[in-house]
Amino acid sequence: MDERDLINRVRAGDGIAERALYDAHVDRVYRLAYRLAGDDALAQDFTQETFIRAFAKLDTFRGDSALSTWLHTITTTVVLNGLRKVKRFHQREADLEAADGVSGGPREAEPDLKARLRQAIDALPQGYRTVFVMHDIEGFTHEEIGVALGVETGTSKAQLSRARAKLRESLADFAGEWVS
Amino acid sequence: MMTGNDETKFEQWLQDAAKTYHAPRPTPRDEMWARIEARRVRRVRPWMRWSLAAAAVLVLGIGIGRWTAHQEAAGPKTPTVATGSGNSDLVYQVAATQYLSRTETFLTGFRSDLRAGRVDTRFMGQARDLLTTTRLLLDSPAANDPRMRALLEDLELVLAQISQLEAGRDRRNADLITQDMDQRSVLPKLRSAIPAGPVPVRTEGAI
Repeated sequence: MDERDLINRVRAGDGIAERALYDAHVDRVYRLAYRLAGDDALAQDFTQETFIRAFAKLDTFRGDSALSTWLHTITTTVVLNGLRKVKRFHQREADLEAADGVSGGPREAEPDLKARLRQAIDALPQGYRTVFVMHDIEGFTHEEIGVALGVETGTSKAQLSRARAKLRESLADFAGEWVS
Repeated sequence: MMTGNDETKFEQWLQDAAKTYHAPRPTPRDEMWARIEARRVRRVRPWMRWSLAAAAVLVLGIGIGRWTAHQEAAGPKTPTVATGSGNSDLVYQVAATQYLSRTETFLTGFRSDLRAGRVDTRFMGQARDLLTTTRLLLDSPAANDPRMRALLEDLELVLAQISQLEAGRDRRNADLITQDMDQRSVLPKLRSAIPAGPVPVRTEGAI
């Protein structure tokens, strides 16, 4: 069954088609939500919200772009709005940890590359981090990112370039890993 | 300074190394689908839920009327949680009052137990139930009032945080939640939104 038929069946209220549409796209939606949220419970919540909104708004999908692109637009909206809601809570948690000296210490206290890379990516501005995760980790094209985030393709490229530059700077201690 | 070659190497290395960043576990398809279906059923049939609630209110209407008449004679009116007139607004108002009352009881109990050093698993389950109701109310006309919507959004965040606590191992996060509640005066706002006196109608399960 092609995608257009599947969409028409979902619009007609076919439950089997709904599940088929979900199965076809859920992996990528969940992966993107997880990569951006870094938390399984949040990623599941965001994924569920994405599909609930998608099914509710499927009548408005005109087919100008691929269904996957449309779904990823909803996903990024749901995830970024959701993360803004919990940001203050996490920020306060981080502030308290910093005040307690639990984390955020000097570089030599965290020599592990994997952990340092995670910290460096987490520290990127939200826009840079989103583009970096979508492009370099999840393999989205700049065109797909542009549609999903509602920005120009050039903006996506520029943000990726700045994200990489910031990461190169943050990970300068590990230059031996890539310069041979 | 990096050469073009070094930059290419860095980008290749970065793309490879970054695969470990927030690496997701296998997609929990069936669990999520079950919850999506449950939430959609609740959303697509709101008329049925509100009709049931309306029926419950009508059945108890005479009793409420008599009770309210006595209260009005005895003292000043209390503020209501939503504005408007007509039967449908009354239904939303009653449902919202019920919900606010339950949530106030729940949050007061949560704080009290936390002060006594307990973070019980039953709180997570109750928070999830109340969270579902919160989201239903946010989608209903009860949230048309900006103050009510702001309160519901605050409660949504608090309840979502409580529902994600891990029993017995999350004292620190639980403390942060109560600090957050205090900072935003969630309980005082909640209490001021609940009319004084007993909750007039029992509509458990209506929303």
